[in-house]
Amino acid sequence: MSEPDAFYDAGSMGCGELVLELRFKMEELKSGQIMKLIALDAGAPEDLPAWCNLTGHKLVKKEHPEYWIQKK
Amino acid sequence: MPGKFCVNLTCSGDNKDKATVAFVVANAAVASDKETMVFLSTEGVRLGSRGYADDINEEGFAPLKELMENFAKAGGKIFVCSPCFKKRGLDENNLVAGATIVGGAKLIEFLSVDGGSPCVTY
Repeated sequence: MSEPDAFYDAGSMGCGELVLELRFKMEELKSGQIMKLIALDAGAPEDLPAWCNLTGHKLVKKEHPEYWIQKK
Repeated sequence: MPGKFCVNLTCSGDNKDKATVAFVVANAAVASDKETMVFLSTEGVRLGSRGYADDINEEGFAPLKELMENFAKAGGKIFVCSPCFKKRGLDENNLVAGATIVGGAKLIEFLSVDGGSPCVTY
């Protein structure tokens, strides 16, 4: 697996705030690039896979609180 | 995954918790590539006025003004009920970003055409 191309520490941000900030950050990447995300929120393990399912981005690594998301 | 999502909000300063959570959920929807609309009616219409949300900051969430600005920045639409707005003597020339004054037909259109839309209410 490639190393991440970008890093975003979302801290304790969760729910809609987390995924909207993540969306803005992902817009800065090129297709295929990987974002390394730190998300401490207890809902993240469920929310982030759901968000990836909805948006088409690929969750390539999930080890809470660390997530690697590949831009579609 | 395409589709629409509606958040129906009837509160503002009278229930800052619900007003805030409504926009958090709206942001989740717009961030998930849904064509998202927040419908403001009754007391909710006050949030359509620029400056009104400035002092609403619920514990555990970003300030409501910021949530609303981010929502509009991401392409979210805010529909403000016309008669509710007028009844409260609010200025339609002083709307927040992303807001449009509408009537009930616009809400019905959003909810019922092109596959319809799920809707949550606060």
